[in-house]
Amino acid sequence: MSLKPRNVDFTETWTHLKETVAGVVGLRAVERSVWNTRFSDVYALCVAHPEPLADRLYDETKSFLEEHVAGLLARVRGSSSLENNDHNDGLLTRYVTAWREYSQGVAYLNSLYSYLNLQHVKRQKVSDAEIIYGSAATVSCPENDARQLEVGELGLEIWERVLVRPLSTALTGRIVSALCSARDSTPDPALATTLKEAIHSTVQVRAFRVRAPLQLYQQLVLEPYLAAAGAAHARMAAALLAAGDVAHYTRLALQQLEREVSLGARFLDASSAEQVRACYERAAVAAHLPALHATVDKLMRDAATDERDGQERRDDLRRMYVLLRPLGGAALRPLVDAAHAQATADGHALLAQPHNKDEAHTHFVNAMLTLHGKYSKLFADVFGGAQAFIGALDKACSAVVNFRGPTDSCARAPELLARYCDCLLRKRGGGGGGSGETDVDEKLSAAIVVFKYVDDKDVFQKYYARALARRLIHQLSASMEQEEAMINRLKAACGYEFTNKLHRMFTDVAVSADLNAKFQQHLRDTNASTTPGFSIQVLQAGAWPLGGAMAPLAPPQQLERPARLFEAFYRASFSGRRLAWLHHLCTGELRTRYTPRVCHLSATTPQCALLLSFETVDQWSARDLRDALQLGGDAWWRHLRPLLDAALLLAEGDVGAGDGGGEPAPDATLALNLAFSCKRTKLRLTCANAPSHQGAATAGAGAGANAGAGADSGESATHCDDDRKMYLQAAIVRIMKQRKVLRHTELIQEVVSQARGSFAPSVAMIKKCIEALIDKQYLERAPAALDTYSYLA
Amino acid sequence: MSGEDFDALDRGDNDGQKSDKMFTLKKWNAVAMWSWDVECDTCAICRVQVMDACLRCQGESKKDSYGKQDCVVVWGECNHSFHFCCMSLWVKQNNRCPLCQQEWSIQRMGK
Ligand SMILES: [Zn+2]
Ligand SMILES: [Zn+2]
Ligand SMILES: [Zn+2]
Repeated sequence: MSLKPRNVDFTETWTHLKETVAGVVGLRAVERSVWNTRFSDVYALCVAHPEPLADRLYDETKSFLEEHVAGLLARVRGSSSLENNDHNDGLLTRYVTAWREYSQGVAYLNSLYSYLNLQHVKRQKVSDAEIIYGSAATVSCPENDARQLEVGELGLEIWERVLVRPLSTALTGRIVSALCSARDSTPDPALATTLKEAIHSTVQVRAFRVRAPLQLYQQLVLEPYLAAAGAAHARMAAALLAAGDVAHYTRLALQQLEREVSLGARFLDASSAEQVRACYERAAVAAHLPALHATVDKLMRDAATDERDGQERRDDLRRMYVLLRPLGGAALRPLVDAAHAQATADGHALLAQPHNKDEAHTHFVNAMLTLHGKYSKLFADVFGGAQAFIGALDKACSAVVNFRGPTDSCARAPELLARYCDCLLRKRGGGGGGSGETDVDEKLSAAIVVFKYVDDKDVFQKYYARALARRLIHQLSASMEQEEAMINRLKAACGYEFTNKLHRMFTDVAVSADLNAKFQQHLRDTNASTTPGFSIQVLQAGAWPLGGAMAPLAPPQQLERPARLFEAFYRASFSGRRLAWLHHLCTGELRTRYTPRVCHLSATTPQCALLLSFETVDQWSARDLRDALQLGGDAWWRHLRPLLDAALLLAEGDVGAGDGGGEPAPDATLALNLAFSCKRTKLRLTCANAPSHQGAATAGAGAGANAGAGADSGESATHCDDDRKMYLQAAIVRIMKQRKVLRHTELIQEVVSQARGSFAPSVAMIKKCIEALIDKQYLERAPAALDTYSYLA
Repeated sequence: MSGEDFDALDRGDNDGQKSDKMFTLKKWNAVAMWSWDVECDTCAICRVQVMDACLRCQGESKKDSYGKQDCVVVWGECNHSFHFCCMSLWVKQNNRCPLCQQEWSIQRMGK
């Protein structure tokens, strides 16, 4: 063959070429040599001299293909009635047979016309990018101008135009009908293959297109199918729901959804998977939301029961969730609300269960842990731990923990939780024990779960600090490791500021132990007589919740010497410090020497002083004794009463009964009961707590007794407000010192976010605190700007 | 604590020697409280109680894992007292007591 352009007789060449083209398109065997000759003919026509004949060749080929496809159309249609949708009438099979032959043939033809495609067509083609980005907006797309299609593409375009269009209704009807019956029963393999190929032909025929390559598939197959499927799904769902069994519905709906999705995956284009799923969800689920939502409360209630079929009910609920989840937040809302309502109701019911009032704290914490554990597990199991449901559980727990009955002035959670911790951290009196150390650790860790839901964390902190003070001062802690671990847990939950004072209390105890050892060493070094029975705790002011601190007392002689020795030692060890004795917290141990059986008495310092006053005198005028010991106000009665109750002292006349600090009658007397006897060898004399006006509750000498914790519940609430104001003022000063100038709303926001760990302050309270600080000249309203404060250094 | 008696201090009276004493004091667990010996318990510079760490130290110990603080008090010759941290920063700008304007000189440090 020669590559040189030459004169070519078009008619003659085309006659031969056409014969081969017909052979190629009809998939008849074409000899290699003939193929090669025709390949050269295409070249020769394209480069013909004087005038290239490419356009003519293109047009002739197009006419030939149109005629050929028209012939195929007649073959495919056969005798089928185009009006019916019987997918078994042979039309689909004939269509697929013709398509297989033609699409293959056209692909071969495209190779035969390689030169024409390459030299003639490509040059005119616009780049995809130009089409997509619009710089070729005025240039038509290849599919709109046949001159710009490669021969293979041209062949496909002709197939669509000449064969598919006239048959479109018939094809659609049969494809949809076949798909619908495939949903209900597996089609025989031949039909399945045919169906699949027919559907994919609508994709392949446009595969070369840049714009909307799936349009034909969508019009012919997808959209009509989804319309039909949607109607079928809706009918099915309505029938199921009308039967009234939601559990049955959820089970079937999920099965059908699965079936629908796999049907789509098998027969439809991969790009349609989402639409097939969405179609089902829309028609079978979304359309029936009100009916489904009406059932969620009951489903949730049933799933939460512990009865035997609970697991089945949970499966029902899980299926409902799986069905609703894809429809988004609004569809899921009633389920989330039901979860919240169920957990809340269950929580209140758990709290309301009958229990021993003395064990209210254990009951409270256990109920909350049961609630939290049960629903955490349920929601993880049924909802996969989805955030919305964890949030619902948190809200429910918080509502239950902070619940206030109509008669409660404040939520009891802070007090009960603090008492729970106190009981765990205390030394267990002999006998009752049983819970080991790891058990206690676990319980304390679990208490943090409840603690996180407490709104008034500052109130909890007060109760906790008081109980901690009691444990530390009276050495009631079961283990210092546990004490420290618990403070660290609280710190991890709430931050440094929250536990600062607790840490300082804890540190004081360690420092005091060291100090005692040094003091004893000092006594040995200076050859002063040692005081083995003497031990001391030196607490730092400001960290301990101790009130009524420095009540004057003339200590018994026996105590004066060690006290003075220690004071001297302390003064020499430190500088700039003031030391005050907290007599009401000091405890002494006295041994009776006048009773037939020796008895060890643990008592407060004033009580020791009271008893020791009878060393030399058998009977005291109550008034004289009180004055001698300088026990003023109610302290007198508080310390005296336990001695009378224990019958260590005997009273004659009115010695000053009454918590208000009653005055002893002038002739009232006290005497040592020489006939005192006690069954036990150890007697702990308790002492009533100082009333609230003496300051935020003393770490009462009510050592050993649990009474202290419960008694002071009312006063906490009233003191809380003052403390919150102090806290807020300190926070405002801190913020303003750092920021210097700040707008009102920003200041409020910062204060709220700082306080969040302890309590939720009201804006009104913050405003009051700002006003107070303006009065105290810490802040001023910025002169120039409205609503802005500036810090006064 | 050993079982030795307190009144062993007061010679001439112990268990071996029967006396007409009514009680023996075996043990005394004393509790005392210390505070800085100051006239005003708030530091005028940072406006925090002197028993608490100053603002700056509080900020820093937040990062610390332990709340161990070493924020002591300092007294001037004028007898006014402040956090030592606060005063150290103050005198860099102004060597006078913020309360009485006398020239600042340290009388003693808390320990
Ligand atoms: Zn300061
Ligand atoms: Zn400091
Ligand atoms: Zn001064």
